[in-house]
Formats: sequence, C-alpha cells, structure tokens
Amino acid sequence: MSNVKTTGKKSSNTLVRDLVNVGIFAALYIVLGFISSSIGYIPAFIVVSTCSISLVTSIPVFLFFSKIDRPIPCCMLFCGIFGGAMLVMGQGILMFAISLAVGLVVGSCLKFIGKGFAGCYSANIVLSLMSSSMMLPLWTSTEEYLEYTRTMCDAGYVAKLKELSQSSWPLVAIYAFGILGAVVGGLVARRVMKKHFERIGLA
Amino acid sequence: MITLDPRTKLFLAIVANSVIISAPLVYSALMFAVPAILLLFEKKWKFVLAFFSLYLAAALGFEHLKTMDVGRVGTLAVSTMMLISHMMPIGIVLYYVMQTTKANEFMAGMSKMHIPNKVTIPLTVMIRFFPTVFDESHAISNAMKMRGIRLFSLQTLKNPFTILEYRLIPLLVSLTKIGDELSVAASTRGLVPETKRTCVVPIGFHVQDAVVFVYCIAVLTCFFITSKSKQSIIDIVSNLFS
Repeated sequence: MSNVKTTGKKSSNTLVRDLVNVGIFAALYIVLGFISSSIGYIPAFIVVSTCSISLVTSIPVFLFFSKIDRPIPCCMLFCGIFGGAMLVMGQGILMFAISLAVGLVVGSCLKFIGKGFAGCYSANIVLSLMSSSMMLPLWTSTEEYLEYTRTMCDAGYVAKLKELSQSSWPLVAIYAFGILGAVVGGLVARRVMKKHFERIGLA
Repeated sequence: MITLDPRTKLFLAIVANSVIISAPLVYSALMFAVPAILLLFEKKWKFVLAFFSLYLAAALGFEHLKTMDVGRVGTLAVSTMMLISHMMPIGIVLYYVMQTTKANEFMAGMSKMHIPNKVTIPLTVMIRFFPTVFDESHAISNAMKMRGIRLFSLQTLKNPFTILEYRLIPLLVSLTKIGDELSVAASTRGLVPETKRTCVVPIGFHVQDAVVFVYCIAVLTCFFITSKSKQSIIDIVSNLFS
C-alpha cells in the first residue's frame, strides 16, 4: 500500500464524515457535560464539578479525536458549537472566544503531537480548560454574574458563590480540578479504548 | 396546523434560551406560551398539559423558596425546582423545534441565511441527534436494568466506573455506528460541503412568522427595559398609565 500515489488532498467524503462526527460528539459532549455539571448545584461541590465534567467526557472525547481526519477545523467547530450553546444559554462572549481559542490549541496538539496517546492526552487536558472556564465570569465580572445567578438560584447558593469570589484561590482550584479530572479521565479512556473500541474496530 | 419557517424557529429558540435562563418567572412563562400554543396546534395537548403542570408547580415552589435560607437539604430541593423551572421552558422550545423541523428544511433555512455548509452540517446532525442520544440511553438503561445494573445499586456504588463501562460505552458504540451510517447515507445522497443543495420544501416567511417575530422582540425589549431600570414590568406599565 505504501507505493500508492495520492494527490495529498483529502476526499470530500471524509470531510462529510468529519462534520457528522463533530455534530454527534458535540451533542454528546453537551448532554454529558450538562448532566455531570449538575453536581455543582450543590454548594459544597461547586469547585469539584469541573473534575466530574472532565472525567465523564474524557472517553467520548478520546473517541472523537480518533475518528477525525482534520483536527484543527474539526476541533474548532466542536468547541465553537459548545461555546455557541453556552452563549445562547446566557454566558458572555468571553466564553465563546475561550472555546474557539481552546479548539485551536486542541486541534494543534492533535496535528503536531499526533493522534497517539500523547496527543490525545494533552488535547484532552487542554479541552478541560473550556468546561472549567464556565465559572470564569464569577471573577471577571462578579456583580453581573451574581445578579444573573440570583434570578436562578436560592439565597444560600448565591451567598456561597459570593464567598468564593472573594479570593482567587477557588478559581485556581476549579482549573486544577478540571485538569485533574482530565488526567485521570485520560488514563481511564486509554484503557477503555484498548479494551473496547480498538477491539471492535471503532477507533 | 401552523408551520413556521426554520429561521423563525431558530430565532424563537435563541430568544427563549437567552431570556428564560436569566429572566424572572414572568418572562419565562411568556416564552413558554409560544411553543405550548404551537404544540397544541400539533395536537400534543397531553404533553403540554403534563409539562405545564410540572412547570407551574416547580416555578411557584422556587419563587416562594428562593429568598429563604433553607439549609443544605433544602438547597438540593430548591436547586431541583430551579432546574425544572428554568430548563423546562427551554426543553419545550427545543422539543417543538426538533419535533417539527426536518433536517432538509433546517439546512435550506441555514443556506438562505448564507451560513456555510461546514457549519450547517454539524449543527443539523447535532439537532437531530439529541433525541437519538436520549432514546439510545433509555434503551441501554432498560437493558442494563434487566442485568441488575442500576445507577444506585450496590454494585455501582462499590465501583462507580462500572457505570461508565455498562452505560457510557454501549451508548458510544451505538452512536458511533449510527454516525458512520449517517455519513455513508449523506455521501450517497451527494451531500458535499462545496456544493449548494436544492430543497423541494418551500421555505419562506408568512403571517405566523411575523407574529412570532413581533412577539419575541416585544418580550425581549420588555426584558431589557426592566433589567436596565430594575423595575418589574407591572410597575413600568402602571407608571406609563398613571
């Protein structure tokens, strides 16, 4: 097969397959992200919720990485769809911009490191920054975010958020837990990929 | 039956999402009314009635309890009420959009808005895939229940990773296979991002679209005025007439 000469240009059929995969995995990422982040509605678990998101979404994300041929545009679209959904759901334009930037970095990781374990692992860790950034407005525009939350949540939850916004350490912890979830989730995903998806030829 | 243009439905979904999430209950109810009426025209009155009863109970409960400090257990209950009262209206809007919009109509609508196919195709797949994700997950859940694997069973509490293995992986396998079949079907039908598609369904704005547009813009305007002036809509209206 190595003697076969190609034009180097990828077929438009693979582009359609990539775009369909982006749609499927974006839907799955949003659903799983939403379910796993609902733990954050319990005040004690606000900071830890990013860990559960990264942990649960690691397996589908690894599968997504293994199924795309054009990493940079696909990852930018994937993250852009997530950012767009968050924008529609009331998050600011900052979240959308962060999503696109994260998509670019994730795609670059896959492109330049490769789609092996190292590339997917580092891309998954970078991707965890996107879901962790959902809480960022609590520190960048505290009053507006608290006002936004006040219409949705009870007084005790808002008071807890206000307490968190006093210091920047919870923000560091949110990102650290997100990364920790991606690190552990990546290891689990590697095992699962070998045990299930590679055996049945899906990855 | 009232048929809306896909662009109107998209506008309705965006306005409903942006208003419902952060607005007081009255706006959420105003936006809830549009898909509810449209679903009644689709003869889904049982669904609307069940949805409305649950929404009303959760919304009134949340409005009553949200200013109180209810303790840890109470916070969980209030959070659940909050989730139901804020997410159900969004759910009904999305349900209406997904139930009544066919993939080709959505693509034709997006094409008329000059959105590139590279963005339209994933969005179309994603919109059509939300119900599939829930259906597949439900089917897998039923299958696992027969084997005694439940979310809060002794086995899953001992080893939470079994939930990933028994619920998430079959879901992923199933969705990946559906996705592969979908991309093969799309390629067979000649779906290529570079070419412009044709559509046999006539897409265009009618009176009902104008009514929904005007209603949504009116609700949006009221929401922005009240959020800027920090007054309720009833106070503003009474000030205007006094």
